Amino acid sequence: MPEGKLCNKKPVSTREELDALLGDSNGRQYYAEMENLDVDAEKLWATIQKTMKSRTKTWLEICAHCGLCADSCFLYSVNGRDPKQVPSYKIQSTLGEIVKQKGKVSNEFMRMCMDTAWSKCTCCNRCGSFCPYGIDMGVMFSYLRGLLHSQGFVPWELKIGSGMHRLFRAQMDVTVEEFVDTCEWMVDEALEEWPCLEIPIDKEDADIVYMINAREAKHYPEDIVEAAILFHIAGENWTMPSSGWEMTSLSMFAGDWEACKMQVETVYEAMERLRPKRMVATECGHAYRATVIEGPYWAGRPDGKPPVECIHYVEWVAEALETGKLKIDPAKRIKEPVTVQDSCNYVRNAGLRECTRIIMKHMAEDFREMAPNKEHNYCCGGGGGFNGIGRYRKQRNDALKMKREQILATGAKFVIAPCHNCWDAIRDLEEEYEIGIRWSFLKPLLVKMVEVPEHLLPKE
Amino acid sequence: MFTKILFATSGSPCCDAAARVAFDLAARYNAKLFVFHVLGTPSRGFSQVVVDLRTGEKVELDGDYILWVKDELKGTYDRQLKSGVDCEIDAAVGVPHREVLRKARQEDVDLIVMGASTTGCESDAQEYERHFAGSTLQRVAKASKAPVLVVNRPVASFWGGFTNIVFGADFSKGSEHAFKFALRTAKELDANLHLFHAIDIGSSHGFISQKELDDRMIEARDRMRRKYLIQTGDFKKVTADIWEGIPYIEIVKYAREKQADLIIMAHHSKDVSDESAVFGHTLEQVLLRATCPVASVNRPDKIQLA
Repeated sequence: MPEGKLCNKKPVSTREELDALLGDSNGRQYYAEMENLDVDAEKLWATIQKTMKSRTKTWLEICAHCGLCADSCFLYSVNGRDPKQVPSYKIQSTLGEIVKQKGKVSNEFMRMCMDTAWSKCTCCNRCGSFCPYGIDMGVMFSYLRGLLHSQGFVPWELKIGSGMHRLFRAQMDVTVEEFVDTCEWMVDEALEEWPCLEIPIDKEDADIVYMINAREAKHYPEDIVEAAILFHIAGENWTMPSSGWEMTSLSMFAGDWEACKMQVETVYEAMERLRPKRMVATECGHAYRATVIEGPYWAGRPDGKPPVECIHYVEWVAEALETGKLKIDPAKRIKEPVTVQDSCNYVRNAGLRECTRIIMKHMAEDFREMAPNKEHNYCCGGGGGFNGIGRYRKQRNDALKMKREQILATGAKFVIAPCHNCWDAIRDLEEEYEIGIRWSFLKPLLVKMVEVPEHLLPKE
Repeated sequence: MFTKILFATSGSPCCDAAARVAFDLAARYNAKLFVFHVLGTPSRGFSQVVVDLRTGEKVELDGDYILWVKDELKGTYDRQLKSGVDCEIDAAVGVPHREVLRKARQEDVDLIVMGASTTGCESDAQEYERHFAGSTLQRVAKASKAPVLVVNRPVASFWGGFTNIVFGADFSKGSEHAFKFALRTAKELDANLHLFHAIDIGSSHGFISQKELDDRMIEARDRMRRKYLIQTGDFKKVTADIWEGIPYIEIVKYAREKQADLIIMAHHSKDVSDESAVFGHTLEQVLLRATCPVASVNRPDKIQLA
């Protein structure tokens, strides 16, 4: 059977298609259909010829198979130093082979590639900084994911996630009306405690446009109001767009390049429409990567930059604390040992390693570094889509072991994770291994810890 | 008075007493009842996995599972559903307090009915857990526009309608809203309204002289008159009392003496100083111990005098 009803080469384009996928519990039918999905070798080779640029070609060619990347990969370490987990092996035996075979590969081979691309690499890019040639297997795996997606070999949850972006321009089914209503609702709930609090929607020429992860709007709208409270205390002139507020990109995890472009263009359109001085991105790693690092290329922007200057939430907080816009009440500083998870996507990939250290200097009395840390930190164990894919749950749970050991070694029982994916992975880690830790984003802590100017307090 | 009631339930026996009151109120006051259950919290990133709140198990979510949960709910409340109450059963996925508040907002309900805590009433609950209101209730009560009626002990659920209402006054701003709700309820249901304030002598470590106690009594009486009694107008079924002691004990005792079938209090009691005490200590203890339903009021929105 060439194309399945659910598993096929066609991306989701209607609500009915999306609902049919969602109705397929665990993706059982989807994966069964995948076993019979034809590989369109001709199209695959044509795609490679059109999209594989010199960098990837060179990397595949010059890899000396020296194995220096092995120890850089946490999945190699947590899987008993299995040679099949050596990054260079993983990419050469998948992408390398497809290229060698000029796309003439079997269904079974493509399924092996899918399992490798989504359960043996989180695209954390750590190997790239240890390879003597600077070969980045994470970048190549992202590319391989794109090829696999174009042939329909993509994990069930990511076909859904990508479909959500295509239909709703968000990873979850949140419409413009629902989003605006949620913001109004949150302000309404908070007004008694925070008189004059606002979430200004579609305000033009503000200093800051704030953008988020759809999960905040859908399940944890408190997060939006916490951001609003902190902007309010800091006296920022800010806004949120009614559309284009969603920065995340499950389509990036899925390798759905077309959907990546559609999503990020919605975000850039909001920036161009509202003309803010800067964009502040919520506490999410991959959202930052999608919008700020990769996005400009998806959207074909000639300068390789988003339309306005974009900063991550940790940059804004560090700046606000250093300039005194936000002040931590000294009595409320965190007394217990606390550690911070460095998100690969904005620390290793964007160099924001000092921000959280500055923040910790203000917030914590006993900050403990993980080892290794900053740009050398390990992935939380759930990056690149790993967290959400049921098919690879066991592999993901194994992958959490590295972070477990790192956290335990700090002696801290409290972990700050300013990234949705890391936060999720650390939550799952505690559920899975019960090491007695707690975890948090920055915002709920800051709201409780910052000094509030007298005039912002409610009058009795 | 009550035209739309939201009964938020975990579906466990811990909510049975609350169910009895919710269905009874809906039948008695001809209100529409929404039976609402949050079946699980999203988990595992963007996956379709939710942690089922009743079993703690991870389940793969699909339409069938939600239908199955709704059927379970129908089974649980089978007998009450046959009473002819206009009732809608719904289940949702999300963070429980958030979804309850969302539903309350969507349906614009006048009252939310809940149990105090599912964890605290389970047979394997730790002793200390029985003395705390659950986090869902605390969060709902804090943000809800509608009063939240809590039924904790089974004994609190066998009253009929509301004929004797005790209002526990603490003179705070929140108490103002709670009083308006109490007065309005008493007027509309032609119930007796008993205003009550307890002077807190239990938590003060020092010795209180009788002179000081007398002074505080006089002051409290004066505030009771100025703040509340003055608003009762020509409504005559009002009494007011001031006792001294440990407030939550005194309120529960007073309610028993007045055969109260409803206690109304503000969510923010005056003695909240510890930021971790989201719930007022007094209110929390009253609603866990009372032998009648306790309504917590935090916001003025749904309780304006008609």
